[in-house]
Amino acid sequence: AGLTLAGAGPATEVLCLLNMVTPDELRDEEEYEDILEDIKEECNKYGCVRSIEIPRPLEGVDVPGCGKVFVEFNSIADCQKAQQTLTGRKFSNRVVVTSYYDPDKYHRREF
Amino acid sequence: AAERRARRRRTRWMGSEHDKTFIPGLPTVLPSTLTREQEEQYLLQLQIEEVSRKLRSGDLGIPPNVEERSPSPEPIYSTDGKRLNTREYRTRRKLEEERHRLVQRMHQINPEFKPPPDYKPPIIRVHD
Repeated sequence: AGLTLAGAGPATEVLCLLNMVTPDELRDEEEYEDILEDIKEECNKYGCVRSIEIPRPLEGVDVPGCGKVFVEFNSIADCQKAQQTLTGRKFSNRVVVTSYYDPDKYHRREF
Repeated sequence: AAERRARRRRTRWMGSEHDKTFIPGLPTVLPSTLTREQEEQYLLQLQIEEVSRKLRSGDLGIPPNVEERSPSPEPIYSTDGKRLNTREYRTRRKLEEERHRLVQRMHQINPEFKPPPDYKPPIIRVHD
């Protein structure tokens, strides 16, 4: 029972990066800050980053979107450029998987 | 902020924008319409494939830079004086364990999942 993946769908200005971070890595304050800076810096090379969200684990709570990174760009074009360059690259030895994310859901923090 | 930057070890990004990993049949661009479960299933599939490729190719992802490697445990030698717990051995075991964990999780959400042919569940030793 494989999945049929029919392309990326319509582009938005929010990029979701998957398979990049594990909840364990985000627990430590310093490591979290480090990862945040590292991703922001790289994304800023391909477009103007407006905001970034990395849901962190909370003891005893099933945090939605934990393990994912959301990056909001200034424009859809910037976001597309970032997706093209970042998808398939390696971060902490893991292959970066990407998808576009609904900006309304992002702003409502529905991850 | 400058202090924080100075503290930063190194970037986690590897290779340039031209160094990409392509796994046939497993694209890295996903539609945004997947359910949470479909998404997890897909990522598990990708992770299992990645670990399997590392184990098969022998390119285990051991950092060439010695400073980036984790400290080694006390060496264990066999009766003929060969070291048993080499870094390669430890890395392989860690990857096998990770793959086992991923396959188990995958079977929970998709009982029909066929693990890679070279996957063997670990032998559980019963101590007497």
